[in-house]
Amino acid sequence: MPGLVVETLVPGYLSVMLRKLPEGVVIITGTNGKTTTTKMVVELLRANGKRVLTNATGSNLTRGIISSVSQQATKTGHLPFDSAVFELDEAYARQFTDVIRPKYVLALNASRDQLDRFGEVDTVAKLIGDTMLSATEQIVVNADDKRLSAIADGGDVPVTYFGVAPDLLKFFPRDDEIVSVSDAPPAPNAAKMQVAIELLNFKDDEATYQIGTQRFKTKLLVTGQHNLQNAAGALALVRQLLPHVAPAKLLKQLAGVKPAFGRGQKFMLKNGSELQLNLVKNPASFRQGLASYVRPYTATMIVINDNLADSRDMSWLWDIDFTSLQGTDVAYTSGSRAVDMALRLQYDNVPVGSIEPDVEKALQAFCRLPGEKVVFASYTAMLRLHALLERKAGKVL
Amino acid sequence: MTKIHILHIYPNEMNTYGDRGNLLTLTRRTEWHGLEPVVHYYNVGDKLPKDVDVVLGGGGQDSAQADIQKDILRIGNWLHKLVAADVPMLMVCGTYQLFGNRFVTHDGKEIKGIGIFDADTIGGPKRLIGNTAVETTDFGTLYGFENHSGRTTLLHDQAPLGRVTRGNGNNGEDQTEGARTRNAIGTYLHGPLLPNNPQLADSLIMLALQYRKTAVDLKTIDDSLAATSRQNARNRSY
Repeated sequence: MPGLVVETLVPGYLSVMLRKLPEGVVIITGTNGKTTTTKMVVELLRANGKRVLTNATGSNLTRGIISSVSQQATKTGHLPFDSAVFELDEAYARQFTDVIRPKYVLALNASRDQLDRFGEVDTVAKLIGDTMLSATEQIVVNADDKRLSAIADGGDVPVTYFGVAPDLLKFFPRDDEIVSVSDAPPAPNAAKMQVAIELLNFKDDEATYQIGTQRFKTKLLVTGQHNLQNAAGALALVRQLLPHVAPAKLLKQLAGVKPAFGRGQKFMLKNGSELQLNLVKNPASFRQGLASYVRPYTATMIVINDNLADSRDMSWLWDIDFTSLQGTDVAYTSGSRAVDMALRLQYDNVPVGSIEPDVEKALQAFCRLPGEKVVFASYTAMLRLHALLERKAGKVL
Repeated sequence: MTKIHILHIYPNEMNTYGDRGNLLTLTRRTEWHGLEPVVHYYNVGDKLPKDVDVVLGGGGQDSAQADIQKDILRIGNWLHKLVAADVPMLMVCGTYQLFGNRFVTHDGKEIKGIGIFDADTIGGPKRLIGNTAVETTDFGTLYGFENHSGRTTLLHDQAPLGRVTRGNGNNGEDQTEGARTRNAIGTYLHGPLLPNNPQLADSLIMLALQYRKTAVDLKTIDDSLAATSRQNARNRSY
């Protein structure tokens, strides 16, 4: 039953249903990485025999959650699950936590996002902070995000930290460093925080994690350096939920988790070449995508729309440094803001092969190019491309 | 090579709305015109640079505006002198407000400005957000994206930058957008403003050259992408 109908017919439905879960509710929030991290956490729990209710990818508003709950409930109103793990859109989290308080909250990062929708960074951090502080048992937070870790420290429940080694911080710039012209300040309170899981180093998709006194090296199917950081968050949370499962076992299970919907997913095209589809939502995620996925031999396409879910203002494109694309070219720009994207690239001296606002035509032409391909797409553009690729390209790797 | 000294004020604090693109546009166009851009950053407490030919400022969070308030009052006289000497300036959103007389936040706190523009700003209950078009006398049509809760009223004979033909502008009531005092421009337009309005970027460069009393023929830049983006902007709804 659609969430809206249930919400209207049975107020309090969500609260009543979720309260029955023996191991309670877990919320994953943050500006970037929610979907992939939720997928990692859910799959790790399930691999260890837990029955986990979750929300379908991207339906991270309360209504979407009500839909998943009502679809999964038995006729007698029973929810046959041990726990629920939900990703929550930071702007709507309050609606949910007012109704039911989660046992655990994992907060990944707070970054400048769509300013026309979420407001300023401080506002975003406060929204995520309110969600963290609604946790009844434990907060798991990114030690390297000073806005969020400061809020978590001020709460009443124990805090578990995850983070990256100090020499890796340059790969994971905090919001203020994205546009700052000064040297990055050292991570705050670094000495004070006991980091439960730390990303020690990485090369491509192979990562080394420090868990307690042990080190684990693993190759992940999930791509992108940002997801290696998110995986540390997922591990820190799951270690709290499953304290008796050996870390080595969790790492092995983590290695098998595939990329989430449109977040670094790879498609095998009919001409035998691979195309990787990457959602870019804001300066932080676009920057991480460029750093992770652009190689000298890849062909690149950038698809930018300006619907409300994409950001109507194109200002964000100018907070991203595209000079890493210099020396290559961008084969296509597409979407309702294809021209604006090309104009942005002009000012970083990156030539664009063709501008084709029609997404389907652009994808068709782009797919004909030989070799490895990478696409960066804003939210609604990613949804459209994903649908087209599933239909045309066939195999999802 | 003729140098153009570009001063970007408070880049660490006032950087929320992509206005960094204005600096990038001015820097690149200066290069493309065969001139040499020299970029100076000024943050709270820094020493002021000796050479300044054009000044840029961006929008920031409310908290950042409070952070720089004391400092901007400290350098206010210096900025006034530059304005009197006809140095071109482009102040967007948060810095535009601080170039006015005062800014009263939604919860009643008063932030004092430096009064280069005779204008008062009051925090409004609702943000004004959307695609905006502004008609100006000197720079033609300007396209940008407004996103502000402050309502600015121009006082006495303070000149606006232009009049909105789409969008809210200064306050959503009197159709004015921005302010202009000599060559200093204040505006609410993000987008960012300069890449989508290259004629304004080049005007700032020409005014900077005039201030330096240097005559240089600007080169022709291929602005076909900007022309198409402006064509699209013309037909966009708020």
